[in-house]
Amino acid sequence: MPEKMLGNDIITADKINKTFPNEVQALCDFSTRVRRREVLVIIGPSGSGKSTFLRCLNGLEEIDSGSIVIDGVPLDHKKENRLEIRKEVGMVFQLFNLFPHLTVLDNVSLAQRLVRKKSKKEASETSMELLRKVGIPEKANTFPNHLSGGQQQRVAIARALAMMPKVMLFDEATSALDPEMIGEVLEVMKNLAQEGMTMIVVTHEMGFAREVGDRMIFMEEGEIVEEGSPDQLFTNPKKERTGLFLSQIL
Amino acid sequence: MIIKKKKITRLDVILGLLILAIAAYILYRIAVGLQYKWDWAAIPQYLFRYDEERNGWVPNLLMQGVFTTIRLSLWGTILATILGTIMGLCRVSHSLFNRLIGWTYVELIRNLPPLVLIFIFYYFLSGPIMSALGVDEFVKALSERTQGLLTFLFAPPSMFSPFLAALITLAIFEGAYITEIVRAGIQSIEKGIWEASHALGLSRWQLMRAVILPLVVQRILPPLAGQFISTIKDSAIVSIISIQELTFQGMELMAATYLTFEVWITITALYLILTLSLSLSVGRLEIYLRRSES
Ligand SMILES: Nc1ncnc2c1ncn2[C@@H]1O[C@H](COP(=O)(O)OP(=O)(O)OP(=O)(O)O)[C@@H](O)[C@H]1O
Ligand SMILES: [Mg+2]
Repeated sequence: MPEKMLGNDIITADKINKTFPNEVQALCDFSTRVRRREVLVIIGPSGSGKSTFLRCLNGLEEIDSGSIVIDGVPLDHKKENRLEIRKEVGMVFQLFNLFPHLTVLDNVSLAQRLVRKKSKKEASETSMELLRKVGIPEKANTFPNHLSGGQQQRVAIARALAMMPKVMLFDEATSALDPEMIGEVLEVMKNLAQEGMTMIVVTHEMGFAREVGDRMIFMEEGEIVEEGSPDQLFTNPKKERTGLFLSQIL
Repeated sequence: MIIKKKKITRLDVILGLLILAIAAYILYRIAVGLQYKWDWAAIPQYLFRYDEERNGWVPNLLMQGVFTTIRLSLWGTILATILGTIMGLCRVSHSLFNRLIGWTYVELIRNLPPLVLIFIFYYFLSGPIMSALGVDEFVKALSERTQGLLTFLFAPPSMFSPFLAALITLAIFEGAYITEIVRAGIQSIEKGIWEASHALGLSRWQLMRAVILPLVVQRILPPLAGQFISTIKDSAIVSIISIQELTFQGMELMAATYLTFEVWITITALYLILTLSLSLSVGRLEIYLRRSES
């Protein structure tokens, strides 16, 4: 694969802390920067704060201290800023979370129409194009619960892409899928990365991480234990803990 | 869901026989002990009567009562649903003030005897407010055709103002229960659906309107229909303020004819026809909704 040219920083997270009401500190002074077109893979044991970090990035969780700036917009208490950031940051969840009362097409069109204020026709055209991209244009008029898990997740990716986000967050997008469906979703994600989408991917799919990831963070208890290129972490981890974790899941 | 097979046990048989025996005894007492003279033949004319002028059958007292009950319940439920939706949204609002409004409304209504509510609202609404708003003058000034339509949909001009007061009272009363149905419906929506909507950048109002409420409606349609049935039953209470619905007509008729048992058995049957047929439809609706869900 030819070396990818990364752009300037698009996400800056500086010393963010997050403690839940039950006293669990999910993130401790967590800092990282993500550059345009970069694919950052985050790994770590269960409960290490991976999801919390992603959820903080689009304001689903509020941080206690530190700062997050995405494409020049600070994520602060201002409602407009938060909505602005959510427009630019797409998120894909482990459990798809499609809207069950809407057809696949309407699921993908909804936010384009309400948030991007597109006309119905324009939104439908974009949605169809995206459904072709994720390989299920024929399901446009089907309701989500008539689809397989893999198909649902691809619709969820199309739905997030429909907002034309600058960044995509994937939180264990394949963890709830049957093994035979994981491939089709990873394929879509791989294509997206090749098109130059900036992505943060929380995953247990180490093959994917190694092939697509530009950088990898191994975190534990809300802190970065080690970061570097995936190859370096796999073949030559600097911390004992990293090697141990990777040897366990491989 | 596990469906238990219904089996008739010996206890059921004994209880059944006991109930039959008691019913037979009561009937016997009425027929013999009280020397009651049944006169069922007198009842049908109060359901429908033959109108010489119009040359056809028209509803009489009891059926007029049925129609008033239906009007009250239908409009009452529609109004109550609007009110319940607004208050339900208040109940789950981020603003403490809104939550307090919703909470106060529900607790106030549910913890007062409905009869007291009826009196309070009747004297407030029908008296000062209705006359201040000039409802009566307004209705009387309408064209004859509009009045006719109003009579068909609501009540005749002479009864319009009290009907409206009764309607609003009923709506406020039922609205409290619908508020709770709506609240429970909103809270039953999975966290993931909320998060996905937030993540797409929808504002709170947009996600409520486009995602949450449509889902809630699907889920609460059966309990809402159940509340409609309750409204039919509860509407009997406005007979106390002389709204001529089914129960009121029953009392009038009884006072005039002394056919106590015939009248109340007929009234019972009429209510049961209304409520049971609706119950059956609700059951159908529930099965239908569940099928489209899977
Ligand atoms: N809403 C919440 N309330 C309280 N504690 C929470 C909440 N969400 C997460 N936590 C706690 O915060 C810590 C980090 O959780 P998080 O979901 O970010 O972990 P994770 O790395 O994504 O784990 P997994 O691999 O299991 O998804 C955990 O200890 C978790 O129990
Ligand atoms: Mg997680």
